Amino acid sequence: MTTTELCNLLEIEYPVLQGGMAWIADAPLAAAVSNAGGLGLIAAGVSSAEYVSEQIKEARRLTDKPFGVNIMLMSRNAEAIAELVAKEKVAVVTTGAGSPSPYIKLWIDAGIKVIPVVASTGLAKMAQRWGATAVIAEGSESGGHIGETSTMALVPQVCDAISLPVIAAGGIADGRGIAAALMLGAAGVQVGTRFLVAHECSVHQNYKDKIIKAKDIDTVATGKRLGHPIRSLKTPFSRELYSKEYDSNISNQELEALGKGALKLAAEEGDLQQGLFMAGQIAGLIKEEQSAQAIIETLMSEAQATLSRAASWAN
Amino acid sequence: MLEKITSILREFKGDDSLVVTEETTFEELGIDSLDSVELVMSIEDEFDITIEMSADTQSIGDLIKSIDAA
Repeated sequence: MTTTELCNLLEIEYPVLQGGMAWIADAPLAAAVSNAGGLGLIAAGVSSAEYVSEQIKEARRLTDKPFGVNIMLMSRNAEAIAELVAKEKVAVVTTGAGSPSPYIKLWIDAGIKVIPVVASTGLAKMAQRWGATAVIAEGSESGGHIGETSTMALVPQVCDAISLPVIAAGGIADGRGIAAALMLGAAGVQVGTRFLVAHECSVHQNYKDKIIKAKDIDTVATGKRLGHPIRSLKTPFSRELYSKEYDSNISNQELEALGKGALKLAAEEGDLQQGLFMAGQIAGLIKEEQSAQAIIETLMSEAQATLSRAASWAN
Repeated sequence: MLEKITSILREFKGDDSLVVTEETTFEELGIDSLDSVELVMSIEDEFDITIEMSADTQSIGDLIKSIDAA
């Protein structure tokens, strides 16, 4: 089976991390992924430290395997959650939507493996300097908060820029994606959208149905004007957001307010009108709901088959 | 020094007429924590130094102090 240095480093069986999807990645999903041999993540999103604390307890009840917490650094609760994970000594912390520099020392001192999500070689180099354990190089194919550079272009450049293990993310939902990521120099992958349709994922059924129905061209990036673009499925609401972005009569504050709470509406209530269904461009590849274990087994057997065939190209 | 930083900032922001003073803050320039990392990397390349950035680095003046200390 395909194991990499990352597996030893994170004490996991397969080099597959589950994406830290806000309002979606909770303890049952994280524990299911970890139990299946990957690394499950609880997403802190904009939730309170109390919520994250309960989720950590619940995940520990559901699995004895390592799991992580993803901290969204733009959240006003980021500092409280940063201190909580240090106190709880969770195995891994991943960070997104900002620079984790104020907290890295605290986490490393607590024995936590720190893996910032980076969208540029600059942040990757800085993360290495701060003492990060690895980085997640996340291309703009991803769902949710995204950078400018695609996975194909970003991953090899990040691999060249730093000596830490690099985890590729964005556009990976099957074994071919994993094999390709390893070929680009990555030591593992992070998969978000495919785990959205895991049986253990508590997201609203409408959300899962939309992922299964999505085609390759069904996502859109909004929020570029605000400096933090977000990829989601095309819906009447995301189209409205997109068009308002180019309307100079609408202020940035109004635009920001418009998108507030829309992911939660999608995740918890499946609101097809006002919800924002964040998903990656690879959603079109995802055709069925499966257990987290079946997803990981499928991913890894496909990767193994693809990698075995790859050798024939070298002859 | 201020001149060189201004030129880096102009390139960074894509604004040829940008004017900054030592009192100008990153916040005023619309530079968030991620942008500031990219900015520091550009400055390190330009001056061939390694800069220690901290949460206290909030203005161009603070940045000049970090460059001088490098």
